[in-house]
Amino acid sequence: MYDFNYKRASSVDEASSSVSNADEGKFVAGGMTLLPTLKQRLAMPSDLVDLADIGELVGITVDSGSVTIGAMTPHALVHASDDVKNAIPALSKLAGLIGDPMVRNRGTIGGSISNNDPAADYPSAVVGLGATVHTNKREIAGDDFFTGMFETALEEDELVTKVIFPTPEKAAYMKFPNPASRYAVVGTFVSQGPQGTRVAVTGAGPYVFRQSDMEAALEANFAPESVESIKQDDADLNSDIHASAEYRAHLVTIMAKRAVAEANG
Amino acid sequence: MSISFNLNGKSAVTDAEPVSRLSHVLREDLGYTGTKVGCDAGDCGACTVLLDGEQVCSCLVPLAQVAGRDVTTVEGLAGEDGRLTELQQAFHEYGAAQCGICTPGMLMAAADLFKHNETPTDDQILDALGGVLCRCTGYRNIVDAVKHVVQPNGVTFENPEVGDAMGARALKTDGLEKVDGTEMYGADQAPADALWARAVRSPHANATFTLGDFQPLYDKWPGLERVLTAADVPGLNGYGVYPDVKDQPAFADGQVRFKGENVVALIGDYDSVYGIRDEDVPIHYEKRDDIYGFDAALAEDAHRIHDNHPGNIMAEGFVKKGDAAAAMKTADVVIEDYYQTGFVEHGYIEPEAGWARRVGDRLEITVSTQAPYMDRDEIANIMGLPKDAIRVIPTACGGGFGGKLDLGVHPVIGLAAWVLNKPVRCTWNRIESMSASTKRHPSRITARYGCTKDGDLVAYEVDGDFDTGAYVSWGLTVKDRVPVHATGPYFVPHVEARARGIFTNGTPAGAFRGFGIPQAAIAHDNLMDRMAEAIGMDPLEFRLRNAIRKGQETATGQLLEYSAGLDQCLEALRDPWRKARAEAEKFNAETNGVKRRGVGVGCMWYGCGNTSLSNPSTMQIGVAADGKVTLYSGAQDIGQGTNTTMVQVVADALGIRMDEVNLVWGDTDLTADAGKSSASRQAYVSGRAAMEAGEDLRGQILRMANAGHDATFDFGDGKLTVTDGDAVRVIDLAKLPADKHGGNVLLGEATFDPPATPLDEMGQGNPYGTYGFGAQVAEVEVDTELGTVKVLHVWAAHDVGAAINPAQVEGQIHGGVAQGLGLALMEEYIPGRTNNLHDYLMPTFGDVPPIDVFLIEDPEPTGPYGAKGIGEPALIPTPPAIFGAIYHATGVHMKQAPATPDRVRAALLAHKGE
Repeated sequence: MYDFNYKRASSVDEASSSVSNADEGKFVAGGMTLLPTLKQRLAMPSDLVDLADIGELVGITVDSGSVTIGAMTPHALVHASDDVKNAIPALSKLAGLIGDPMVRNRGTIGGSISNNDPAADYPSAVVGLGATVHTNKREIAGDDFFTGMFETALEEDELVTKVIFPTPEKAAYMKFPNPASRYAVVGTFVSQGPQGTRVAVTGAGPYVFRQSDMEAALEANFAPESVESIKQDDADLNSDIHASAEYRAHLVTIMAKRAVAEANG
Repeated sequence: MSISFNLNGKSAVTDAEPVSRLSHVLREDLGYTGTKVGCDAGDCGACTVLLDGEQVCSCLVPLAQVAGRDVTTVEGLAGEDGRLTELQQAFHEYGAAQCGICTPGMLMAAADLFKHNETPTDDQILDALGGVLCRCTGYRNIVDAVKHVVQPNGVTFENPEVGDAMGARALKTDGLEKVDGTEMYGADQAPADALWARAVRSPHANATFTLGDFQPLYDKWPGLERVLTAADVPGLNGYGVYPDVKDQPAFADGQVRFKGENVVALIGDYDSVYGIRDEDVPIHYEKRDDIYGFDAALAEDAHRIHDNHPGNIMAEGFVKKGDAAAAMKTADVVIEDYYQTGFVEHGYIEPEAGWARRVGDRLEITVSTQAPYMDRDEIANIMGLPKDAIRVIPTACGGGFGGKLDLGVHPVIGLAAWVLNKPVRCTWNRIESMSASTKRHPSRITARYGCTKDGDLVAYEVDGDFDTGAYVSWGLTVKDRVPVHATGPYFVPHVEARARGIFTNGTPAGAFRGFGIPQAAIAHDNLMDRMAEAIGMDPLEFRLRNAIRKGQETATGQLLEYSAGLDQCLEALRDPWRKARAEAEKFNAETNGVKRRGVGVGCMWYGCGNTSLSNPSTMQIGVAADGKVTLYSGAQDIGQGTNTTMVQVVADALGIRMDEVNLVWGDTDLTADAGKSSASRQAYVSGRAAMEAGEDLRGQILRMANAGHDATFDFGDGKLTVTDGDAVRVIDLAKLPADKHGGNVLLGEATFDPPATPLDEMGQGNPYGTYGFGAQVAEVEVDTELGTVKVLHVWAAHDVGAAINPAQVEGQIHGGVAQGLGLALMEEYIPGRTNNLHDYLMPTFGDVPPIDVFLIEDPEPTGPYGAKGIGEPALIPTPPAIFGAIYHATGVHMKQAPATPDRVRAALLAHKGE
């Protein structure tokens, strides 16, 4: 039914060259979105290059100033890691809130951020913590990585290898999940630390964005009261059967307020 | 390129394509049908398997990703000797499997949990199983089964002795196959050489169309054997559940009336049928304006959806007792309001599926259904064949709730198998199941209730419109049932109730657990709350004061002589109600935060059986020459448990143990017509027939043995030993002629048709033989910033006459509460938009609170040992109880279901502004 090549790459270089040599090559990470995409014929790649066998892409390293997560590390592993929980509890919590156990067992951070679904959780952490995305070619600042709905700064044969999250002084993630998929209707990641004061919002717009009014207010006073009266403009927000743009805008404020409260402990 | 992996400890090799769904490969290539497919989108979790010990949705895993790895399916759980795991046994004992379609997925998710954590907390259990949907159980018994494995709680389960089956918490007679993966559902049984059928469905809700030349399609796809169209239908191209209304075409004929309607069907090999894209099939549509919603349908210039229904009005039901308009003027308090509900999807996890074959001059349809005999008659009509030329063999039914009463895959597979003389199978995918199956009727209801200042109801006036979508389906039942039940289960001297069915281009609305009564209950019980408040009376006491009781007449003038236990239900709830109300008020006073708690109560009644129509059931029980006792039950088990309850009733009636009764079920060639599994009628109607059939056989044996009423039977080795005190008589069964049904030597048989009379033009009469009654109390917590509502606890009291099997009654109540919660808070089907299980929201683990069940047994003399129905009653009081609780928490009356967070927040904002 599908006329293409399926290949399991054993190294990053092999994966990258396989994709660059193909007519239209695609990387497969956990594969959670692959079959739905193919079945709906949203993509018709010539070659699929599976990254599951590239051991070097899996793993978690925590040092004094950062948490490094390999691109093929499944969400379940991030959530279960005591090291992550100790260093950045908000990141651990976020990973545990993604989808259901089946998704967390298969889905990976590299796949999630490369796909950049508007309602995905991880983009809020990448931006909300000021992380750096490492690829086989370069380092990309989290703020520059996400460029549009389902769009990123990645080139065709460029592969995320790891994401390095600087350890914040405080951080929290709060989301209003879709009750079925647990995708974020709105998710807000707040942090304060070496990367400054950050409020990153996912689910509300076409892709993750920083709420600069809230960031400024929290910079002055990192307290729930600082954000509770800051309204999010709903002009460019998503509107669908699950929530209107107006309701999403409201959720941005409430989720931010609650995230700040949680971050303060 | 073949791919190999370890499957349940053995090597499995397949040539399937690398991006085949693992679920498909397991089921279709390797024959492991224990893994179920509910959505192919990772939403339902029915296909959950373990991959290297971790749970995954096998529908989302490309085959290539399992190469060389370990896959475990439900078939791999039990030991080599077939011995069940503790987990499987617990699922069986706790009633964690009702229809059983989600059970393999649940078991695998739980198995994953125990691999990582032998002592999980409740929250960890909820999270670990949270990716699997169940539509029957309300999840509580599943959680209890898993907890039992963590810490056995000492509960034991009965294998009842002679005479003790009635009322026993007997285990399901078909329970083991639901936990070991061997149960066979609609998609599990087709022969390997069966062709596949796929419907090509209308992308438009309202259009005319012409068909082009199919030859290019045949040329391009050699595996395509046939494209079936309306022109191929040999009989009547129409079906419908009423004998005289067959308005829904099996194949649309030049016109489509809803999005997802079957236009043509492709028959051929799998790759062809699923490789052909809809847009390559030459169907040329001429689109017209869609008519969605009441206003569009009733607009003066709206075109007619059916030529013979001017104004798009399907029909109107009416009940008038006394003079409501005049009496209303005498009431001290009158409250009027307007209520709305949307389409609701049944959400059974098993999509419609089956297969058919031609056997000489007969057609056999093996299919997942709630109504084998009605299916038989419908197919005979469509095929232009006599009824006895059709055999319907029901499979285990993976959930129905009313949605598998109407035809599904039947016409397409039946016609295809007949025309091609080859076996043909069809399984709807989730999107077609949601697009093409029936829904709960959307409603808009204007209602006015009046009472005296002392708290006596005076009059009720109600006018409701019900959107029946593009075809009648069960719309006539809804328009009849609603006025009959519109008052709620209260004594009201003056009633005027009207319900209209309206045609639109919406998905056909049909039967769904309650036939319009849940919608009507939202209206009447909101008004009950407000009248109570207006006169300063406690909402529960106000209901109790007005609860209809034995000796009183209903709105249709039916005198309730027996079995009307609403007052007992409310009395049972009084203590938890008072305590919960006080605690909620204390919580609110003490916290004064954004989270507010409240407690509400809802009441229901529901006529068991078809409205004012004959709806008999016939049951047969035979004894073979070798002493084997067999119950022939046509009462289709759709998960509610008739395969168990019928055996319980018959065992006691005949005077033997349950495990001595063999069961033959469903097959229209082997069982007599026991009607539909619908209208909460099987326990009551078929149960009564089963009891009388058992008594008939017992009477025959006692007469043969000239024995007294207390005699006991021992069937064995072809000899039936009848012991009556000291007298022992042996009947040599082998010497009797084996000329009875099923080749038996003895046969007991009985038919029961509940007493009901037609309604006159004022809606007066006795439409049902008996009514179920119930009341529920719900405690909620409202997050007033977000508008979210979390149900914290439900107390459910139901008068079931007599509980044939209390465990199964509790299971029905749990499931009904869960579906009622969904209706109240999250479920709304939007045609063409929410036809998947991530946009359509159903309750999952964590949404359904603890449920305390109170079984009230006010016996119904026409029911089997006093029993009546519970299937639908369980759902009806939940939404009004939740809405009442939201009011208690926040002061806001929700008048539209579902009360989604944005609607609740909007109502809170409006309330604040008042």
